[in-house]
Amino acid sequence: MGFWSFFTLLCLVGFYVNWYGTTKALRINSNIEKGPKLPSLPNYYGRHALLSFILVSTTILLVWIFLKPFILDLLLENKISVDLTSSFDGDPSMLIDTIKATDPNNFFPGTNPLIIEFAKYYEYIKETSDSYVYLMVLSVALIFSIFSLRKISISFQARQSVEKTNINILIFCSVIAIITTIGIVFSLIFEAIRFFEKVPFFDFLFGLAWSPQTAIREDQVASQGAFGAIPIFSGTLLITLVAMSVAIPIGLLSAIYISEYANLKVRKFLKPVLEILAGVPTVVYGFFAAITVGPFLKDLVSFFGFSIASESALAAGGVMGIMIIPFISSLSDDVINSVPMSLREGSYAMGATKSETIVRVVLPAALPGIMGAILLAVSRAIGETMIVVMAAGIAANLTANPFEAVTTVTVQIVTLLVGDQEFDSAKTLAAFALGITLFFATLLLNLYALKIVRKYREIYD
Amino acid sequence: MVTVTSNNIKIKSKKISVFYGDKKALDSINLEIPEKKVTSLIGPSGCGKSTFLRCLNRMNDTIDICRIEGEIFIDDKNIYEKNLDPVLLRARIGMVFQKPNPFPKSIFDNVAYGPKIHGIVNSEDELNDLVKDSLKKAGLYNEVKDRLNEPGTSLSGGQQQRLCIARAIAVSPEVILMDEPCSALDPIATAVIEELIDELAKNFTIVIVTHSMQQAARVSQQTAFFHMGNLIEVGKTEEIFSMPKQIKTQDYITGKIG
Amino acid sequence: MTNITEKIKLSLSKRQRSEKRFKFLGFIGISFAILFLIIILYSIFSQGQSAFKSTYIELNIFFDEKIIDVEGKRDIEDIKFANFRKIITNSLDNYFPEVEKREEKRKLHEFISSSEEKNLMNLVLSNQELIGKSKQLWLLASSTIDVIHKNPEMERIVESDRLVDDLELSWFKTFKENGNLKFGFNKNFFSKADSTEPEQAGVLGSMLGSFFTLLITLILSFPIAVAAGVFLEELAPKNRFTDFIEVNINNLAAVPSIIFGLLGLAIFLNVMHLPRSAPIVGGMVLALMTLPTIIIATRASLKAVPPSIREAAIGLGATKFQTVNHHVLPLSMPGILTGTIIGMSQALGESAPLLMIGMVAFIVDIPGSFTDSATVLPVQIYLWKSTAARGFLELTAAGVMVLLTFLILMNGLAVFVRQKFEKKW
Repeated sequence: MGFWSFFTLLCLVGFYVNWYGTTKALRINSNIEKGPKLPSLPNYYGRHALLSFILVSTTILLVWIFLKPFILDLLLENKISVDLTSSFDGDPSMLIDTIKATDPNNFFPGTNPLIIEFAKYYEYIKETSDSYVYLMVLSVALIFSIFSLRKISISFQARQSVEKTNINILIFCSVIAIITTIGIVFSLIFEAIRFFEKVPFFDFLFGLAWSPQTAIREDQVASQGAFGAIPIFSGTLLITLVAMSVAIPIGLLSAIYISEYANLKVRKFLKPVLEILAGVPTVVYGFFAAITVGPFLKDLVSFFGFSIASESALAAGGVMGIMIIPFISSLSDDVINSVPMSLREGSYAMGATKSETIVRVVLPAALPGIMGAILLAVSRAIGETMIVVMAAGIAANLTANPFEAVTTVTVQIVTLLVGDQEFDSAKTLAAFALGITLFFATLLLNLYALKIVRKYREIYD
Repeated sequence: MVTVTSNNIKIKSKKISVFYGDKKALDSINLEIPEKKVTSLIGPSGCGKSTFLRCLNRMNDTIDICRIEGEIFIDDKNIYEKNLDPVLLRARIGMVFQKPNPFPKSIFDNVAYGPKIHGIVNSEDELNDLVKDSLKKAGLYNEVKDRLNEPGTSLSGGQQQRLCIARAIAVSPEVILMDEPCSALDPIATAVIEELIDELAKNFTIVIVTHSMQQAARVSQQTAFFHMGNLIEVGKTEEIFSMPKQIKTQDYITGKIG
Repeated sequence: MTNITEKIKLSLSKRQRSEKRFKFLGFIGISFAILFLIIILYSIFSQGQSAFKSTYIELNIFFDEKIIDVEGKRDIEDIKFANFRKIITNSLDNYFPEVEKREEKRKLHEFISSSEEKNLMNLVLSNQELIGKSKQLWLLASSTIDVIHKNPEMERIVESDRLVDDLELSWFKTFKENGNLKFGFNKNFFSKADSTEPEQAGVLGSMLGSFFTLLITLILSFPIAVAAGVFLEELAPKNRFTDFIEVNINNLAAVPSIIFGLLGLAIFLNVMHLPRSAPIVGGMVLALMTLPTIIIATRASLKAVPPSIREAAIGLGATKFQTVNHHVLPLSMPGILTGTIIGMSQALGESAPLLMIGMVAFIVDIPGSFTDSATVLPVQIYLWKSTAARGFLELTAAGVMVLLTFLILMNGLAVFVRQKFEKKW
């Protein structure tokens, strides 16, 4: 049975259950001539049965989605006969994967015929197990709904039950955010720990050489990779620095102009235009940086007699700065606007010019909020991926010269994982170690920024 | 129009009308303010007295939809002339607001703000003396002399208002405008400020907006009564409160209106 | 008193000058920002607009029966496997009969795109009377010829740096002078998926991939996010647990997108063994990313509904749940929808997390379901940019134009919904 036919059937049965419950309740109500009727509206009784149906079927389906690969592997393992293991001329632990990877309808000539047989078996259990589960879902869910249908009586307060269940569903939805965070931390930590079993923690954190090579096969004589992450951290910092030196002046000046000098019509036009810069996808910025800015800078700089890499930190960082301008200008604009008018009036009444008022009174008052905005922007810059993947270098380079090419944490994560790598090698696990570093760095920055902004808001509210 | 004679006139307003968009807030006000005396502007809420006050130092310029017609002469010079720089004007006319608004700086820096931006003092020592002097004139020095570096916002309400007064007089203005300076303060702090006003009037021309008639009676020598954007009556304070010439003035004083 | 006034007057002009300078500085700041935007848009549009046209060469095609249908049976299988490349190369040889060396002939034969073999086959299958006859047809040129056609300044470059050598250039010029070379609309761009040959590549595959992925994202994130938002804003007690949830949501909103990609890789692919490169996984990852955005938008919209509405409902005896469901939620729908549309448009532009879960593969087929391998538009742009062939440059820019168009439409829709339906309380 295909998924869609099952799904349609599920919906139909669900509708029926709902309708039956409502009708039954209506019938009971009309049979009562005097005395109290059912405590809840009839459709709540139908809804109650429907909820049982949905909850049970969803739970079983979700459990199945999680358990399916394990169960299938288990069945496959049990079926494997001894002759297969002996006739298989590869790594015994790869046996199952080989079977799974073989397509029984389209196999390479010369494949072991036993493998093909088992591949066919695997296909078979994959399809039929789904059908069995669908059947189970329908029947079990139906049984549960029958139970709730039987509960319909004068003493049953369906509405309370339905509302309580609904609220629990809402709570569950809210908790998904926590589950996601836990999932992120857990999966990252898990893989990172496996990485640190291969590469010592302090070598990673403080090592100065980054060249992730690992032996592909055990018998290969390859250089032991170095996994010192300092050049990567420094690359991220350099590019972030370049980005901030573009974004902060332009962003702040724009914010000052928009909030203090522009009249209402101009302000209404300028704010959305700056928002456009924030809405452009980062892959577009990456394209612009790689195709236009990189070569342009190269021509410009060599005109003056210097040399610059085509994947320089200046190109990538500069374009990233452009992307960040709206972050700083928008947040700063809000912060500057929330400085009370009474402070400005106090300054004007003293005979100060507008610029003096802004520089000496408004900006100092808004400073904590602006700092918070800058920190949030820095966190965004550190976590940015596409611009640097497309416009920055791949080789780790410990330097402070923006004309050179550097690589960042995010670029390395992508490079390490996009490719055919054995999942267990130190190379791919290194990506998770980098990932968890990135996660905690941005988390700390964000928490600190929010703390500053909150404290600032307290002063003025 | 009755004026207090045998004194120089510091400020003279001629047919001042103020519009907020289409709404007329003040209608052709003609008022003379005598030098080195306290003039109070009284009237019910929304009658335009604060608006008039803000015309005197062109603070209404900061409001986009506000339009002003007429002329105001300070020492016989029209301040609404085309080329007049409001920056210079506001250095000569200080303002104290209803709610104390010290800058988020230290007490010292609050008072030093005006002298610094206008370039009045030439040395560190001169500045120190000027700040000390202003704080003394505002009657605040003794309370804060040991903590000049603490933030201005750490003071009590009454102290903050006196700090704002010190700040205003640090640039030696000729006129001090006060917009309901005591309405956010408790009675004791109010009494302190009223005493201060008495002292200040020896050296400055003071115009004070107040909606407390008792306060007007206590501190001012001339009183002007506004109602619904019009100047109804102006004259010596004792005469306004004991023998008002206009019915509306009488009604306001006896509490029938406002 | 007056010497103070004098002192003030002295510094006045200097201060007015710095006032003017400062205002000018602010103006420069914002001008730079707008200038950058204009430059970015201009460079994309100028590079991309040429992608919408292709180069076609007119040749006299002889549908040689000896090649197409030797046995004369008009059997469909025979026709399908016939050597249509020979038909094309024959026409090319006939056009330039002086070309004799094999090496040179090979170069000539590469003038026409390899996709035309299949097109000719389909043409013959539906018009079998063409067999044995000749016809003047416009055939799609290969990418190198297309590039030369679109960039006339390349003719002046030294031969060793040019894409084509002098001989090929002379053939190109001959075609042009004879009027057998023209620009036509690029039919492949909107009808095909990725390809190794630039002239055959299109965005349809990635557009559909984006569509399927976003659909999954919407289906997963919208109900869960609205439910969570409603719960946190209206029904939750204010205790440490709900505070904790709130902090978590705000943090998730600021986590870099690539981390979600790592999460998808570690759990969806490696633990749950879901298919790589499928919209369903991409949709799940993007849904997790979009959840916080929609939750925050939901809460803001709910907050904006005045308490008087809630009080009126409760006064009539409605439960808290009914109040929210029947009254508050419908009123806050415009705001929620606006936030959802904006969240979706952010998801549309995302590429980093999808790189992690494998939607980087070279997909030539157009996806038909949620589990077929697919890629999304921003990733396609990334892949094209990374390719060396010169012809992909304009395609990348054109892909960006398509992406930006969709984003403008979606954001325009959000603004429209907000302006038309949002009530100002």
